[in-house]
Amino acid sequence: MSFLNVIRRRLMFLILVLFGVTVITFTISNLIPGDPARMIAGDRATPEIVQNIREDLGLDKPLPIQYLRYLEGVVQGDFGNSIRTRRPVLEDLRIFFPATLELALTALFFATALGIPLGVASAVWKDKPIDHFVRVIAVTGISTPAFWLGLLVILLFYGNLGWLPSGGRIDPSLEMPTRVTGFLMIDSLLAGDLTAFGSALKHILLPAFTLGFVHLGVVARQVRAAMLEELQQDYIRTAKANGLSRFKVVFTEALPNAMIPSITVLGLALGDLLYGAVLTETVFAWPGMGAYVVNSIQALDFPAVMGFTVVVSLAYVLINLAVDLIYMAVDPRIREVS
Amino acid sequence: MKNSHWFQVVGAAAVTVGMAVNAPVAMADGDADLLVVAKASDPQTLDPAQTMDNNDWTVTYPLYQRLVAYDVSEDGKGLTSVIGELASTWTASDDGTVWTFDLASGNAFSDGATVDAAAVEYSFNRLMDLGRGPSEAFPGGMKVEATGDMQVTFTLEQPFAPFLYTLANNGAGIVNPAVEGKGDDHGTEWLSANSAGSGAYMLTGWERGQSLVLEPNPNYGGATPEIEKIRVDIIAEAAARRLKLEAGDVHIAESLPVDQLDALGSKDGIEVQNYPSLKVTYLYLNNKVAPLDNVDVRRAISAAVDYQGIIDGILDGNGVQMHGPIPEGMWGQNKNATQYSYDLTSAKKALDVAGGASEEISFLYSDRDPLWEPIAIATQAYLSQLGLNVKLEKLANATMRERFDTGEFGIATGNWSPDFADPYMFTNYWFDSKRHGLAGNRSWYSNDKVDGLLQQAVVSSDTAERTALYGELQEIVTDEAAYVYLFQKDYRIAVRDDVEGFVFNPMLEDIFNFGGMSLSD
Repeated sequence: MSFLNVIRRRLMFLILVLFGVTVITFTISNLIPGDPARMIAGDRATPEIVQNIREDLGLDKPLPIQYLRYLEGVVQGDFGNSIRTRRPVLEDLRIFFPATLELALTALFFATALGIPLGVASAVWKDKPIDHFVRVIAVTGISTPAFWLGLLVILLFYGNLGWLPSGGRIDPSLEMPTRVTGFLMIDSLLAGDLTAFGSALKHILLPAFTLGFVHLGVVARQVRAAMLEELQQDYIRTAKANGLSRFKVVFTEALPNAMIPSITVLGLALGDLLYGAVLTETVFAWPGMGAYVVNSIQALDFPAVMGFTVVVSLAYVLINLAVDLIYMAVDPRIREVS
Repeated sequence: MKNSHWFQVVGAAAVTVGMAVNAPVAMADGDADLLVVAKASDPQTLDPAQTMDNNDWTVTYPLYQRLVAYDVSEDGKGLTSVIGELASTWTASDDGTVWTFDLASGNAFSDGATVDAAAVEYSFNRLMDLGRGPSEAFPGGMKVEATGDMQVTFTLEQPFAPFLYTLANNGAGIVNPAVEGKGDDHGTEWLSANSAGSGAYMLTGWERGQSLVLEPNPNYGGATPEIEKIRVDIIAEAAARRLKLEAGDVHIAESLPVDQLDALGSKDGIEVQNYPSLKVTYLYLNNKVAPLDNVDVRRAISAAVDYQGIIDGILDGNGVQMHGPIPEGMWGQNKNATQYSYDLTSAKKALDVAGGASEEISFLYSDRDPLWEPIAIATQAYLSQLGLNVKLEKLANATMRERFDTGEFGIATGNWSPDFADPYMFTNYWFDSKRHGLAGNRSWYSNDKVDGLLQQAVVSSDTAERTALYGELQEIVTDEAAYVYLFQKDYRIAVRDDVEGFVFNPMLEDIFNFGGMSLSD
């Protein structure tokens, strides 16, 4: 099956997934006790005020009608207005989603850039001190709560050393670069504003480290396991017998093959990072979707919660599609089977 | 050749990053023109006709003016009495149904338009047309009419004693009628993220989830503000707010927990300020369900709670026990009304009179306020000494509110702060049998005599008569132990010592008088 056919089939599947997501989220949202109209009106509002709001929002209509109206809007790119912020949900997501994605991708870059060399090193020097060190890093990463690690690094790098800011995306005294991608580091470079870029880079270092630290261990352990398997293979023995240097055997022969299963881990990690950024965003005052969706849940802001769910689901499916395509690109066996 | 290209690219990138990262970063500390306030969460909406949240009012209140404003005493304390802000004078008809306000000249919106009677009429009609939460503070059927260029008349269907005080409420902010051209529905979407007021400051920037910027309104009718820029930074994590305050990157840190405030009290350059507040914390005792429908069970519960123990143990001493529903600092409090104290003997006696209580009593609380859980646990322990079976239920706040509204609970904990400076806020809301549920009467209390007193008090324009009516009411409702009146918690805020001129007003928690504040060099 060609790449194009895979993409076509998966995109059709995507429509079904998104439809299912909207049905489930809408149903769950409406099963939760609590009245969004009351949340808007405030505690002390009279029943008449609450009823007016209910009618204005269409919450007095039967659930299937409410759902169909919602779906009609979604198909036209209208996710409705947020009950909490009174603004279009899509507009809110356009602001918050790139911030979360920028943080998740930077965290993934950090986890990959450090995790792969550490994984390779621990495989090459199996049961040596470096291997034990990587094991400690992996266990620490998985077992350390992100909010706690976040506070520790803030205390160290902001409170004690004063090297890095404690939170936010950019120094608030700086002018924001013109929004092109929503990724501050890229937008500031596009605007040629090095000061803004430096500030954005400084601001993302601690949250990206905190968020990526968990996955650093996972990536390192995954690469280690795959490398150990590859290093036992006959073609490695042949390469060594042919006099290839150790560096070449590891990095040009074993590593490319060991990376294939790691692609899945990285794809899943990106998904985890997207919706797992909530705590990190809270600790670092990172204006992403985490705080937005948590506040929306507390305010029973169903349009915002559903918008978030649809966007994250879409991202998840697209990441999986990308992983499958990369698999097909790098591994001819999979391409043939497909 | 190929390798040398790579080195060049990597080298250039490294130099770029190095230059960028080493770029100077402006700090708040030392800049006398910038005041930074750290808040825990972003405002929801900035439209005064829509927001019901003190967290939003930090930003909205200084952006708008109202007909009246809370007064300040000669020694600089915020009072609950009001003086004219946009209004220079006003008169009320003898029956209190017609109020006429003459507007002061010289006030203008940030776009230069004059604040006139048409703007006042527009703002109140907009508020009532939208019919959102803030409109509830004003009497239904209220008519507002510009009766001159600078005169506006309010006509009420029936007398409403606290009316004048409602005009100092955030919802009574006067909005520039130009917002009507900013989209449908009275420009609500536009106004949710912009300002159109005549206050000392105007909104000039809002990076969602990160910060809001206020700058002086160039057409402000009052004294020119000293601080050239106010920045409200959104920092959800309390520990991070504290660190930024200590580092001098923010001047005021809101909503810090008791332990953080205590730790900050001893730091150089930081003051932890304590103010008596009108915000109260109390327990709802559902008067409609057994065994709490028995007045002696409620009396027993009221006598079994160790009030001072809660204040000392949970508030670290930063509060006072309530004396009935009307808090200290609000006129109309009756000191002769019953004030329960921790007295296990009389509690047991009252329970014996009731014939005991074997039913399980649910106790609802949520994590909306971190104090509620320790209060719930302590109360469960106190009531277990009476042999009462209290089952704690920690719920999502929205779910808990729903249960208040339907009356499906036994005991629950809650906070209350007044929207306007009148005992009405603590009496008519709490005890009127027409307000059962979330609307205010959360104990589902009913007493015809009390309803009658409330009705008389709301239509009387004689303060002495109202004081007497509310005094009688307090004796009844405390004797009947409608609620457990726990404490008034102090308002505590951590401020750097270069901040001058802050006046706390108990009616305006989380709101700062930015226009009168300054920063010392």
